[in-house]
Amino acid sequence: MMGFLLAAVFKIALVMGLVLLAVAYLTLLERKVIGDIQVRFGPSRVGPFGLLQPIADGIKLLFKEDIVPTNADRFIFIFAPAVSFIPALIVFAVIPFGPSFVITDINVGLLYVFAVGSLGVYGIVLAGWASNSKYSLLGGLRSAAQMVSYELSLGLSVLGVVMMTGSLSLVDIVEAQGGNWYGIFPKWNVIPQFLGFVIFMISSNAELNRAPFDLPEAETELVAGFHTEYSSMKFAMFFLAEYANMIAVSALATTLFLGGWQGPLLPPVVWFLLKVFGFIFLFIWVRATLPRFRYDQLMGFGWKVLLPLALANVMFTAAAILILA
Amino acid sequence: MQAVFFFVVAAFTVATALLVVTRPNIVHSAVALIFSFCGVAGIYVLLDAEFLGAVQVLIYVGGITILLLFAIMLTTRIATRVDVFNEQMGLSALIAGGITAILVYASLTGIQIAGEAPAPVETTPALGRLLMTTHVLPFELISILLLAAMVGAIILARREKE
Amino acid sequence: MTGTFNPADVLHILPEVFLTVVALGILVLSFAAPSRRKWIEILAVVGVGGTAILLVQAAVPLFRPGGEPYAVFSGMYLVDKFAIFFKVVFLVATLLVILMSIDYLPLIGVPVGEFYAILLFSTLGMMFMASGGNLLSLYIGLETMSICIYILCGFLKQDQKSNEAALKYLLMGAFSSGVILYGISLLYGLTGALDLKEVAASIATMDLSNPALLLAMVMLTAGFGFKIAAVPFHMYVPDVYEGAPTAVTAFLAIASEAAAVAALLRVFLGAMPHIQVDWTMLFWILSVLTMTIGNIVAMAQRNIKRMLAYSGIAHIGYVLIGFVAGTELGISAVLLYVLVYAFMTAGAFAMVILLHTETVKGDLIEDFAGLGQVKPIAAAAMLVFLLSLTGIPPTAGFVGKFYIFGAAIHAKFYWLALIAVINTAISLFYYMRVAMVMYMQEAPTGLVLSSSRPLYLALGFAVLGTMVIGIYPGPFLELARASVFGLLP
Repeated sequence: MMGFLLAAVFKIALVMGLVLLAVAYLTLLERKVIGDIQVRFGPSRVGPFGLLQPIADGIKLLFKEDIVPTNADRFIFIFAPAVSFIPALIVFAVIPFGPSFVITDINVGLLYVFAVGSLGVYGIVLAGWASNSKYSLLGGLRSAAQMVSYELSLGLSVLGVVMMTGSLSLVDIVEAQGGNWYGIFPKWNVIPQFLGFVIFMISSNAELNRAPFDLPEAETELVAGFHTEYSSMKFAMFFLAEYANMIAVSALATTLFLGGWQGPLLPPVVWFLLKVFGFIFLFIWVRATLPRFRYDQLMGFGWKVLLPLALANVMFTAAAILILA
Repeated sequence: MQAVFFFVVAAFTVATALLVVTRPNIVHSAVALIFSFCGVAGIYVLLDAEFLGAVQVLIYVGGITILLLFAIMLTTRIATRVDVFNEQMGLSALIAGGITAILVYASLTGIQIAGEAPAPVETTPALGRLLMTTHVLPFELISILLLAAMVGAIILARREKE
Repeated sequence: MTGTFNPADVLHILPEVFLTVVALGILVLSFAAPSRRKWIEILAVVGVGGTAILLVQAAVPLFRPGGEPYAVFSGMYLVDKFAIFFKVVFLVATLLVILMSIDYLPLIGVPVGEFYAILLFSTLGMMFMASGGNLLSLYIGLETMSICIYILCGFLKQDQKSNEAALKYLLMGAFSSGVILYGISLLYGLTGALDLKEVAASIATMDLSNPALLLAMVMLTAGFGFKIAAVPFHMYVPDVYEGAPTAVTAFLAIASEAAAVAALLRVFLGAMPHIQVDWTMLFWILSVLTMTIGNIVAMAQRNIKRMLAYSGIAHIGYVLIGFVAGTELGISAVLLYVLVYAFMTAGAFAMVILLHTETVKGDLIEDFAGLGQVKPIAAAAMLVFLLSLTGIPPTAGFVGKFYIFGAAIHAKFYWLALIAVINTAISLFYYMRVAMVMYMQEAPTGLVLSSSRPLYLALGFAVLGTMVIGIYPGPFLELARASVFGLLP
């Protein structure tokens, strides 16, 4: 019992530490990559190649004055960043990093991820409301509508994978993707579930509130959206949450569609991290490339294109399973 | 061990539910409601019904309450306070207390504990199978119900054509 | 209790499937061709008619000698004469409401396609209530019906009273559904079953004075009390009846009440026959309160829709008498009464719509003034409905009351019968006041009536039903009797 507990605590500490470290350097990566795409250097002054920039940023944020606006709802104002940050971290509890390296394997793992993931929106909505500022409120409302709308497509897009695996456990899903077709193609879900994969990537981008779906914080219209009134560590929490979510979504995409840790030659964990890195790079690339949607386009696209496509994918997969079985 | 967890989760659920009905600020009530729903999900998990627990969070917390908040935020201001404790409070407390007392009495005297709990089984596939066999008719009827409700919501919410 | 899904079972619910398809077709049509109002109306009428034909076809083997009732879908759906009787009542009611609505809806500015679609979905819910062999399917049928009716009540978006009606009905309905669910969950906790037969079998082996069991019974009584609008759970009824569009009010009064009665009979007789003594006592009190308060308050109404609301409450009180009697005679009298009530009340509401024109809303009792001199035929029709509602021969209302009171006396509920007779005398007062206004008062200048043909058809149908059952009740009584066979333990 004690040993089991200790092992669990160790695993949790390891994963949390790594995620937080990754989050810190993800900010640097994003600035560097976007800089490169825009033919700039990005941060380069603090340390060699700007490698100490995240630490400098952290220290700066820590020492900023912590402001709570006079007419804000104090309790919820303080509470919101935490609500935003915690779900982003506890999603990692069920992600399999390697053949035997998962904090806990529960048989409804995927549902757990979605359940916890759906809590994240509260951070943004409540922050927007509690700030008592019209920009924040608009940002919060937009994000509530956007995230609820795209959550449907997101959930439906992975149903195909669940139907093919016959399990909601992420460990089972990864294990079902071992081996090859005809000796060349890896048995990854991305091949039979390509439509589901595309829908998943688009809707998760919207769930992350990242460009081109960054309407909740559209700086040209809403100053900074829901976190306009936030400063210091509370602001940093939103920032951390956004990047932690990005890693979580990348890890989930890897697990569901790219065979998780499966891969030849290299050790499993390395494969996993490589694939996650690939997705993160993709998210940054998309942000640097695409302009922002208009609000009605965003809603129309989610409800009239993605949702029917996701439903069609579910029907098609079910039919295919019935015919092939 | 499980009993301890149960009492902690149950106390949490009841306490947050009390907050829902006593907060003068309706957004605070909604936030308390989130926690209460999470507590209910916790009880489901303790009963080895993980699927129900996850779905409880997904639907009630992730779906229904967020729409509730959405509606509240569109209609009320931050400083809006509702007078929860009005003159009807004594009466309603009496009725609610009476019903609670009756319920507690009836469950204590009327319901026997079935003995040892059966070993936990994985509920998700079993539920799926039941929905497609024994309960297929109510399941399909619910889809009609939801369709009618959606059509109705759209009619009531859409703008009149001039 | 895991069952299997037998695709052949679908053939047994063909009427429901057909109705669903038609309702969906109406939705699609109203979206694809919104200007073709006629098509939608024809489709709605055809839908109800076709469902009725399919239903009769399914009923034929049951009424042949040796036709045994059976259950499909793992006991979720019962095919018996009881269900078919009620479904016929629902379909007749829906047809009458559609006929009333055809020219009424454009007049009040209601979107036609969605109205008929939701009306048919509601009817579908009722049909599943009448056939429900399981508390789950019964409850979902009930919710399907109720949610559709909440929407129908609020169709007049610009009208504050319609909004109020929808909101009030929604809140009270949701609350009462919650109470019913509480009762169902207690029953499930006690018996481990949702199937009506299994619940009954499990209760038979229990200590019948178990407080949890009695609590479940009280919860179900209160919940269904709301749904059938029995006093003291009736407070929302007058406002809802007044605010809702009149066609919806008619639907609410005849179809929804009938469905609630069907579900009440199914649940109490099917699942809890062993504690009949206990619930009979509760319903005795409810019955007396319901008819007395309904009739007394009805006297004070100026608005005819409110008056009919209270009169409807009083009639539910009469229906409960048959239920309290609990004998085969009593229950078959309930069935007959529900049918009779559908015709006469549909007629009364059709009269309100008849008076509704561009300028006059027609829902005040004064609006009937002088109808007797100016439009003698319309006034005569109204007189028939009023006489029937009072229970005066040779109308159907008399037959209905006669069998209900007879069943009470037969089951030795003398007091109940006496109170009911006194109540009938009270009701004479306010029904005849309307007749008096029609015949004794001067008509306002320029009294016009609606010129809607389908409405005339509905009125004619209602008069016909009221008179035929009144003069020649034999076959209808036989039908009601045959329909309760096997329902009682």
